[in-house]
Amino acid sequence: MRQPPINRIAKDAIKAWKISAMLSVGILWIISIAIGIVSFLYDWSHVFWVIGIILSAVCTYIFVFLVPKLRWRRWRYEVFEQEIYIQHGILIVSRTLVPMIRVQHVDTKQGPILKKFQLASVTISTAATTHEIPALLEEDASDLRDKISALARVDDDDV
Amino acid sequence: MSEPLRLHPLAIIFNFLKVIREGIIPIVIGLFSFRNEALIYVLLIGSGIALLLVIYSILSWYRYTYRVEDEELRIEYGILIRKKRYISKNRIQSIDLTQSVLHRIFKLVKVQVETAGSGTSAEASLSAVKLSDGEKLRSKLKGAKPSQLANDEEVEEVTTDSTELVQPTHKITFKRLFIAGSTSGSIGILLAIFVVFFSELEQFIPESFYDQTINWMIGLSILFLIGLIVSLLLVLWLLGIAGTMIKYGNFTITRNNDELFITRGLLEKKQITIPLKRIQAVGIGESIIRQPLGYVTVFAEVAGGTIDKGEDYSTVLFPIMKTNEVHDFLKDLLPDYVPVSKDLHRLPKRSLIFYLFRSSFLMLIALGVVSYFFLEYSWIPLLLLLVSIGLGWLRHHDSGYRINGDQLTIRYRAVNRITMMLFHKRIQAFEKTQHKIQKTQSLATLQFSIIGKLGVGKHYKIKDLEEETVNDLSEWYSLREKS
Repeated sequence: MRQPPINRIAKDAIKAWKISAMLSVGILWIISIAIGIVSFLYDWSHVFWVIGIILSAVCTYIFVFLVPKLRWRRWRYEVFEQEIYIQHGILIVSRTLVPMIRVQHVDTKQGPILKKFQLASVTISTAATTHEIPALLEEDASDLRDKISALARVDDDDV
Repeated sequence: MSEPLRLHPLAIIFNFLKVIREGIIPIVIGLFSFRNEALIYVLLIGSGIALLLVIYSILSWYRYTYRVEDEELRIEYGILIRKKRYISKNRIQSIDLTQSVLHRIFKLVKVQVETAGSGTSAEASLSAVKLSDGEKLRSKLKGAKPSQLANDEEVEEVTTDSTELVQPTHKITFKRLFIAGSTSGSIGILLAIFVVFFSELEQFIPESFYDQTINWMIGLSILFLIGLIVSLLLVLWLLGIAGTMIKYGNFTITRNNDELFITRGLLEKKQITIPLKRIQAVGIGESIIRQPLGYVTVFAEVAGGTIDKGEDYSTVLFPIMKTNEVHDFLKDLLPDYVPVSKDLHRLPKRSLIFYLFRSSFLMLIALGVVSYFFLEYSWIPLLLLLVSIGLGWLRHHDSGYRINGDQLTIRYRAVNRITMMLFHKRIQAFEKTQHKIQKTQSLATLQFSIIGKLGVGKHYKIKDLEEETVNDLSEWYSLREKS
């Protein structure tokens, strides 16, 4: 765990994350604007919607522009014959080792946003944990899934 | 046992009682809400339902049969929809026998059959069969087993005499049981209440006691109150002892080839089977009260299993023993696990500040808030702050790890000190996490996961280890060819 894993995830991940963050932040904007309209109609104090707008702006900056880029920069993975090595996390960096013989199953997943960018995520499950490699290119994801599932097919004596 | 067998007829009553117990609240509510006018109708409808229930219970008993055939346990049940469940013999992980007080009066037993599948209840549960039939069923499905539920005295003599070498057995003594009860968890809470109560007392006794003679009466009533509370605490404590006695009375653990057998309970007798290969980790717990007295609890993390075994999240292998007996106990029953708690690698000194901060910052905030608004009560958060600082220090002091070949031993403390022993192959995933401040100090947190009860992962963490240590441990864990 001295060296980070070498493979990065697809660059388009940033765009995909941005879109999904925008959708979440959008709700905040709608609420803020709704409060604003109500404030004008019923002559409420303007403090609330101003706070709402500021909050929305800050959240937009952090979650749409800052976080996806940082997250992508940190995300790395590497698949060895014996184990999978993953690194992620912005403030708290986490490096995880999952031995192949502990892998129970591998899934690929693709939501509408990932589909737009021809991306897919790979989920690796052991008997106790699940690990997700988000946003790989579709063919990379299915290759990885097949590779892990082939490598994981090692007889284990117990459990 | 090839012809289909029915459960003992008493199963009808068990079945009936179970349904009643589940439906007791609506029944009571119904009775109360129609107390006056329509009571007669409610009673009529109620007895109608009761009659239906009786018929249902009888029918479901009548239709429930089990047999052992072709190396399979075959159960057929269901009144309108016939259901058949066949459990192959070599898929059966454990067969547990339980006797409630009612069971014991009629010499019956409840048989629970479990397979590896994780679920909340046993795969097959025969609510009441004759004790001899239960034993027979188990020996058919699992081969011969020591039968400790059947006629206690004689069989125990036999097991201790002839099979001591083959089947190591540990039994709890009455004295130990008593100690276990009197130091059980509830006493800790009581003690805390006690301490807070008495420190509170000091505050207001002087004024009310000495200043005015009229308040002598109040003082008296306070004394009375104290007496009442003390006796209440005493009763609770005794209840704690009684609870432990009932739960762990006659606790016996035996190893039979590749399985552990636990028999326990004074009133309700339980027999639990734990296949050795499903044990994921063995732990030694020292509660904050027992640790100074040198007593520990030995428990195991067992994969799979069911909630209705009535166990807590970890399976207790022995409720109480002296620290220096652990070694022999494990050597007898689980010789793979070697306790090495004496020479653990500790945390670096510079991580102490992290531990102190983590345990005390909530209390610091509380202290700030309380002393701002209610200065006269600020001693409460202050006291708690001191306790949490002490706890933080203890957590740092006690945490540690050691590697012994394939065995990893870690020790940590939340409130109680826990030492876990587990093997490389039981660790499902290994994680190193590091936040920015840890990075500047080159510290890192280690986390690993094993399979817990019900197939849910159980995660262990040691915070703020030396980063190099975590790297070394990751190399120990990594299966990659070292270059």
